[in-house]
Order: sequence, then structure tokens, then C-alpha cells
Amino acid sequence: MNKGYMGKILMVDLSRGEISEEVVPDNVYENYLSGLGLGAYILFNRIPAGADPLGPDNILGFLTGLLTGTGTFFSGRWMVAGKSPLTGCWGDANCGGNLSPAIKRCGYDGIFFKGISEKPVYLYVDSGRAELRDASSLWGRDAVETEETLLMEGGKGARVACIGQAGENRSLIAGICNDKGRLAARSGLGAVMGSKRLKALVVNGKRRIQPFNRHEIKRLSQSCNRWVQFQPPLFSGPALSRVGTLMRLLPTQMAQDGLLYKFFLKKWGTVSMNQVSIEIGDSPIKNWKGTNEDFGPGRSLTVNPDAITGREFVKYHCYGCPLGCGGKCSLPGQKGGETHKPEYETVLALGGLCMNEDADSIFHMNEMLNRAGMDTISAGGTVAFAMECYEKGILTKEDTGGLELTWGNAPAILALVDKMIRREGIGDLLADGTKVAAKKLGKGSEAFAMHVGGQEPAMHDGRNDPGFNVHYAVEATPGRHTIGAQLYYEMFQLWKEIKGIPRAKPLYSKDRKYLADHEKAVMAAVCSKYMNVANGAGLCMFGLLMGVTRTPLFAWLNAATGWRKTPGQYLDIGVRIQTLKQAFNIKHGVDPRSIRVADRMLGKPALPAGANKGRTTELETIRGEYWDQFGWDPETGVPDPEALERLGISTPETGTGR
Amino acid sequence: MAYRITTECNGCTACVRLCPTGAIAGERKVLHVINPSLCIECGACGRVCPQEAVQDAFGIACRRIPKLSLWPKPVVDAKICVSCRICIEGCPASCLAGRMDGSGKHEIAFLAEPKACISCGFCEADCPVEAIRLVVPQQPAVEVKPA
Repeated sequence: MNKGYMGKILMVDLSRGEISEEVVPDNVYENYLSGLGLGAYILFNRIPAGADPLGPDNILGFLTGLLTGTGTFFSGRWMVAGKSPLTGCWGDANCGGNLSPAIKRCGYDGIFFKGISEKPVYLYVDSGRAELRDASSLWGRDAVETEETLLMEGGKGARVACIGQAGENRSLIAGICNDKGRLAARSGLGAVMGSKRLKALVVNGKRRIQPFNRHEIKRLSQSCNRWVQFQPPLFSGPALSRVGTLMRLLPTQMAQDGLLYKFFLKKWGTVSMNQVSIEIGDSPIKNWKGTNEDFGPGRSLTVNPDAITGREFVKYHCYGCPLGCGGKCSLPGQKGGETHKPEYETVLALGGLCMNEDADSIFHMNEMLNRAGMDTISAGGTVAFAMECYEKGILTKEDTGGLELTWGNAPAILALVDKMIRREGIGDLLADGTKVAAKKLGKGSEAFAMHVGGQEPAMHDGRNDPGFNVHYAVEATPGRHTIGAQLYYEMFQLWKEIKGIPRAKPLYSKDRKYLADHEKAVMAAVCSKYMNVANGAGLCMFGLLMGVTRTPLFAWLNAATGWRKTPGQYLDIGVRIQTLKQAFNIKHGVDPRSIRVADRMLGKPALPAGANKGRTTELETIRGEYWDQFGWDPETGVPDPEALERLGISTPETGTGR
Repeated sequence: MAYRITTECNGCTACVRLCPTGAIAGERKVLHVINPSLCIECGACGRVCPQEAVQDAFGIACRRIPKLSLWPKPVVDAKICVSCRICIEGCPASCLAGRMDGSGKHEIAFLAEPKACISCGFCEADCPVEAIRLVVPQQPAVEVKPA
């Protein structure tokens, strides 16, 4: 076939214990690519309307990218998709590591699970067979222990995705784990896996992935690699925070080139942004009510990039990545203990958001949450919620089982996270995220629950970059931060390859950034379209931030498939995938207008001090214009039947489509 | 496209044992058969077959390399390798791994299990930065006695 994709999926019915292989027609790939595009195609058509996310009708898909295994750099992301129990919407999450090529080398672009198994099981797949095996002895064990056991059972070259206790306990903020502690964390899909009593997926494929033109892919990869390896000497970690302070004080903003961010990523990883983000107002503080002044450079010094990487003993690369932002760190106070280098999101969700400056506690919670398979973003957001409730007297020491949930009390935060993992006492209330907790708790606690449609947002403040608020609100997966922002738009530099879209101005007044004008809606829509293509291809967003001319996504896709599509045609595929995901939400009774960003996140009321002083986001106008960019009803956000027909999407109303 | 075994096969099972995907079926002294849907064209069967009974996807008979020690093995240039793991995860024999090379914190690919290597050359073909070359290992010098 030699088109980069395998052309088949595996469908596993856990209720019946049946496994079947299905051939996917070429036109599906041409219309939706692979990865989340293929996932959306299958899930939209096969999950019945109104299905219970934790019931047998929900389908959980493990997906690989179209470019995975073709020799394309940054192509190691695997994706998981299903109906989210956290939001009730389309749910997806993705993760790096080495799982994606291993799934694809079994001969499948995706492995889908439906039904509910009677007893705990795991699926073993290799090049020629697929079988469900008993996992009773693994149930109750953490993700790292589970993976270590299954790697021995799976044989040489096996790779594992599994859930820890959080997924088993159907915590709605549970993710799916691979490579001993990396998490596809968002959307609560670990709970879906737990509800199906599916402990793990073990893949050990040996097939060869054949692109159309390997030589051309190599040529493009080598050109990309020259940019990745270009690395000037950088200043120290703490000095980086002063760059943030300077950026905050300037009345103007420069369009940012992602190459600069690449320098930081390569040296420190995502933690490079810890202090910079706080200083510029990108990272929320004290459950989104604080400011950079409450958690200044002196206080955040403990989590400066040099302090984190001081514990790093090896850097690691995900599959296909020449950059290597990941690392393994030693665990403080534990001889021989190790943990993945905590990511930016983890450090700040469990740090600044809870006013916690104890770096050691963050390392330990990182390892606890990774092993349990719980999303660190949502866990941090929920702890911060609980702390504010404690401050306001809604939660008392009696409720918390003796924990004094005062801001920055590291031992209490650690104990609370442990309770959440085990669903013990107050932990049971908080293990499903802020929305559920606030609903159960009542007493006005809803005002402190910082979520978007049920999902806790990442550590990127829309009051600093309104683009984040737009994407939190308009995406089919509410609260996601890895799709778009004004910053990402500047970094993607798509105007260099696509005509008719706005070019970022090299220097502009900050006031311009906060205007809810038509251009912002166009920029947001382009980001969504582009990331749909990237998630179909399985590319890492960090690679794409170097800019489309340096990380040539479209050219790689053409070389891998033999297609001759223009960048504009690829964005049209992005429109189709986005529309399908929106139609998924509509099918499941979600009113797009009902997905609300918490008032505080929108700057209502505006902060009285700090980097984001006086800033608010006007979402209503920009949201309508964004919907209009996809040809959906600008009032309701519903793709009308003509729009679906035009894109070849089948619904009960439009009959059978492509 | 897949490899094929001709009637020259004497059923020695050498290829059955070596095939990394389990694509070859056959009992001792019975003609072996390659399952085309599993064959990845690594050529290991052709290199090991004492009868030279294997044809490649183009119908060309594969040449046997009698001594396993003469099978070419990957050599990684640590200065060029970018630690991307494409070779490691693409190896059908899972014989490559990463290790710190002393010059930094990044793990460089290396041949961890030379005996498991089947000399398929996928690592060399796939390496995006061409850091890998397949080389016949140097043989230890043998003293030749005068006649």
C-alpha cells in the first residue's frame, strides 16, 4: 500500500470477548487522515446518541498518527478518544513515549474497545494475533508496577498502556499511562478504561510501516533537524524569570518565534517556562484569584528550571523526537527513587495554583499521580478549589479528616492528593474534579470551581492570552490548551504557506491583543484546523511550534501518502474533523452555548492588581465568529445539515455519507 | 509484496526460527511457507537458508551468508545520532537500545544484542539523519601456518 497508514483497525467487544479486524477504505484517510480524525469518524458513527460515558456503549479508541513510523520527526504521539465522562462531550487526550509505533506495527491505525468485560482483562496484540487475557492479579496495582509486569509477559519489544488506581476507581480525572508514568491525562478517559474493566493494552507489533517516498521524508526531516540542533548558549534558569518580568513591563508585545521556545525546551524541557509564565501572567495563581505579585520570583525560585533539572539524571526522547524535552529525575529523600521530570503544568498546578513553593512535595505528588494515573492539571485545580472552600469555611477541618488546607501547606496538599487517589474521605468528593465536587458540596462553592464544561483548564491564563479562553470554550473538548492561542498562532507561522490568513505583526501594542475582533476568530479557527491535521498525523505540538516552514507537516504528509494536497486542502480536512467532533457533541445533546468558562477565568470581575490587572475576555462575539468560520450557525454553534452534507458527513438526517 | 520459498526447501526450519514476525510456517523436512500478510521483507530467511530456496519480492533468489559472524551489523555514529529512537522502535528483532555515551544526558542508539540482529538494514534505511551504517564485523586475525 505504501501510504504511511496501515488501512485497518481492530475492534474489541469486551462484553462478548470478541475481537475483529476491519479494513478502512482509503477515502476515510483522505477525508479524515488517521489519528483523532479516524477516531472521530469511527466514534461519531458508532457511539449511540446519549450513551453513558461509563457504560457499555461508549467506545474507547487508541490511535496512532498517519506519520508515525514513516521516519518523520515529532511523530510519536498516540491518541485516545471516547465520550468524556468528565465533560459529557467529545473527549481526547494524547501522549508521547514509545507506544504509538508499537500499536501501528501490529498492523492497525487504531484499536477500539466497546462493551464491559465481566472481569479485569488486558488485550495483547502482536503482528499476527490479538487476545484478551486475564488481568485480575493486576487490578489494584499502580501503573508502573502493572507496566513492569506486562513488559515481562509481553516479550521483547512490547509496549504497554494501562490505568492505575484512579482509572480503576473511575475517578473522572483519570488518564491512561504509558512508558512508566507518562499520561494521556485529559478528558477523564482513564475512567472509561476502568469502567470497561480493561486494565491494559500490550502491543508488540513487528510490521514495517511503509511511506510512499521515504527519501523525500528523510530530506525534509534532515532540514527540520538542522533547526532542532541549532542551540545557542543560554543564560541561567533564575535569570529567565527576569525575561518574563521585562515582557510584562513592556507596553508592546513582539510576535514570538517558536524557535526561541525550542531553545528553552531543548535545554530544560517544559519547566523552562515556570517562572516566566508566572511573571507574564500566563500561569494562574491561588485558584485563579491571585496574581504574579502573590507568587513572585523569590517565592517561585524553588521551581526555577535549573532547580528542577538539577535532579535530572538522564534526558529522554519520545519516539521520533530529535529534541528530547523529557527527563528522569531522582526523587527527593528516597534513595534510588525516580520520577519523570515534572512538566510545567504539573509544577504550576500543584505549585502556584495552590501557593505551594515546596518543590520536593511536587516531585512526590508527580510520582504519586503518575503511578495512580490521575491528571496532574485537574488534580492541582481540584486541590486549589478545596483550599479556597476551606478558606471560605465551606470545608472544615472535620470535613477534610484533620487536614489544614491552608494555602501553600505542602504536607496537607500531599495528604489530600493521596486521599483523592484512594477515594478516601474528602478524597472521594474531590476525585471527580471541581464540577462534581462543587455540585455535591453546594453552599456557593460553584463560584470557586474553575472549570470549562467540567474540565479543569491548564495553567495558561486567558486573561493574559485571550486565545486560550477562546479555545477552552469553543473546542469540542472543553478546557484543552494544546490546540490554539494567539501565541501558538504566531509560532505556527502558517501565513507563510497559506494565503489569505492574517500575518502576525512583528511588534504590536498589548491593547490590540485584548480586542475581540474578527481577526482573532480567524486566527483561532486556523489553529483548530491546523491542530486537527497535526492530530491526524500524530505530530507533537512542541515540534510544530517551530513554525510550519521548519517543521513541514504538509510536505511530510504528501511525501508519506503520495497525495498532492495543498496546505489549504489539508486545512479543509481540519474543518471536516472539527465539524465532525462538533456534530458528535450535538448528537450527544450538548448545546455548544452551554460550555461556559468560569467567570473568574474571563476576568469577571477583573483582577485589581498584577500582570493581568483590569483585563477581561469578551467571549460571546468571538465565539460566534469562530463558529461562522466553519460554516456553522453563528448563533448556536450547530453545524447545519448543508454544512455536513458539503463535508460528506453522514447523520440520520443526511443519510449515508462517505 | 513478500518473500517466497521455492521447492528447493529441505525443511530445515532455520528460517522458521529466525523470522521476527513468525511469518514462516513449516515442520521439519516439510516445505516451508511464508505468510505474505506477515512478511516484512527483512530477508533474514534468505540469508540463513542453506538451500538458497528463498526468493525476494522481485523473484530474485537470495544469497546465503553462511557464517552468522559475517552478517553485517549496524554501527551508529554517536556524533550524528539525534536520539530519536526511530531505529530502536523500528527494529524487528528489538536488538537496538539507547545508552548514555558520556558526552551528554541524551541516550545514543547502539546495538545492544548483536546476536539477535538479523541484518535486515531497516535501521540504516530508516535513520532520518543517516547515522547508521551496516558493516561486516571485523574478523579476528587467524594465524596461517606455513605448509
